[in-house]
Amino acid sequence: MSDKPIRILYIDDEEHNLHSFKATFRKQWDITTTVSVVEAEELIEKKDFNIILADQRMPIMTGVQFFEKIRDQYPTIIRILITGHTDVGAAIDAINKGEVFRFIDKPWDYTYVENAIQHAFDIYKTREDLKQRNIELQKANEELDKFVYSASHDLRAPLMSVLGIVNLALLEDDLQSQNEYLELIRKSVKKLDTFIINIIDYYKNSRGIPEVTSIDFEELITEVRATIQYLPEYGNLKITTDINQEGIFRSDIMKLRIVFNNLINNAVKFQDITKTDPFIHIKITASPSGATILVEDNGMGIREMDQDKIFKMFYRAGATNSGSGIGLYIVHEAVSKLEGAIKITSTYGEGSIFEITIPSINK
Amino acid sequence: MTLIDIILIDDSAFDLFIYEKLLIKSGIAKSVRTFNSAREALKYLIDEGHLLPHTVILLDLQMPDMNGFEFIEEFSRVSEILKNKIKIFMLSSTIDNGDIEKARESPDIIDLLSKPLEIDLLKRKLQI
Repeated sequence: MSDKPIRILYIDDEEHNLHSFKATFRKQWDITTTVSVVEAEELIEKKDFNIILADQRMPIMTGVQFFEKIRDQYPTIIRILITGHTDVGAAIDAINKGEVFRFIDKPWDYTYVENAIQHAFDIYKTREDLKQRNIELQKANEELDKFVYSASHDLRAPLMSVLGIVNLALLEDDLQSQNEYLELIRKSVKKLDTFIINIIDYYKNSRGIPEVTSIDFEELITEVRATIQYLPEYGNLKITTDINQEGIFRSDIMKLRIVFNNLINNAVKFQDITKTDPFIHIKITASPSGATILVEDNGMGIREMDQDKIFKMFYRAGATNSGSGIGLYIVHEAVSKLEGAIKITSTYGEGSIFEITIPSINK
Repeated sequence: MTLIDIILIDDSAFDLFIYEKLLIKSGIAKSVRTFNSAREALKYLIDEGHLLPHTVILLDLQMPDMNGFEFIEEFSRVSEILKNKIKIFMLSSTIDNGDIEKARESPDIIDLLSKPLEIDLLKRKLQI
């Protein structure tokens, strides 16, 4: 059984049938009844029914005619016809024109009616689920298209740059210039590698099975810091931490690592080199209910017009060469998967603060 | 051989460097001006285009803020006098059929050249 009761409309010109049906089933289902097909149409317009039961013999129009009339406009509602006597002609019409799901014979056999309705609802639900699944698939497909398009660009562009440099180097006799070109090739290859690592992170993040463990933020930050201190852009950046962890905080370490990796990497990459004391300050407060993470820097900052777009896939703020536009998208995805929230406060030229709140996964 | 004035528009500082060098080294360029943003290049064309000699633009496609096609859309609104002085080639690593088709259909794009740029191909296209 689903959470909400099945919504049924029953149309019959014999009022005592409506009464007895309602009396029998009103506790388990949401039942609306009417003696008039005209009123029935108004009711369908107002309420979202799962199943319609209609008597075949009614004034104005028969049950089959009624079904035929509403079929195209309300294709999702399952139709059940009630007949007093088995008339082959009516049965053929019911199937061909009214496309009814089932017949119910009068007088009622309550178990049969119950089964028929339950079965009809199962079909209704399966169709709705399928529709929902289709919408989701369509969305996933569109995302994949976009992903392939952008990935193909971001994978190919650095390669084509390398090829361009090779062509250029072939025109050059001077050994010193050759070395410069090699250095450029190194950078380009590095960039490509970063992108590939990001893609793999994204994949692990979206498809992988979450691994929930007790998190030691101190350890995690130390680990992430170890991987970034060798970045060529690191410079004389100062990283300070202020970690307050009380009790056990449980989460998916893989996703948290992605979050910290990207945020800290960005802060390193987008330092403001004109400032004398570049810093990153990481403040974490964690408890068994949840964690608040602040990553603050005095880097380049993000323009206001870009702030609502930076979490989108392949959006790159500014005309700089360093980003692939996927890092913050992955961060956003990871935080959403952890049922948390991410917020940015930034002043262009002054710095940025990323604030993340994540609930602890206790089960 | 006629030397040409060239404007490069590419968000990749890397590619600007490579192609500027390549164009100068190959001996086909009289001048090379580079822009790392399509929006800045557009502003330059609108503000100072009247001073420009006949110019060839090599335009990247995928760029943040304003991409190559968005640039073309804005460019299509400039004066005919300016348009007649400028030849635009798109220079991109794209292999997307949609992009290729779109570039081919655009009256303001002469051709889509794939990265890395081949000087001989550019020469043939410009008939120099």
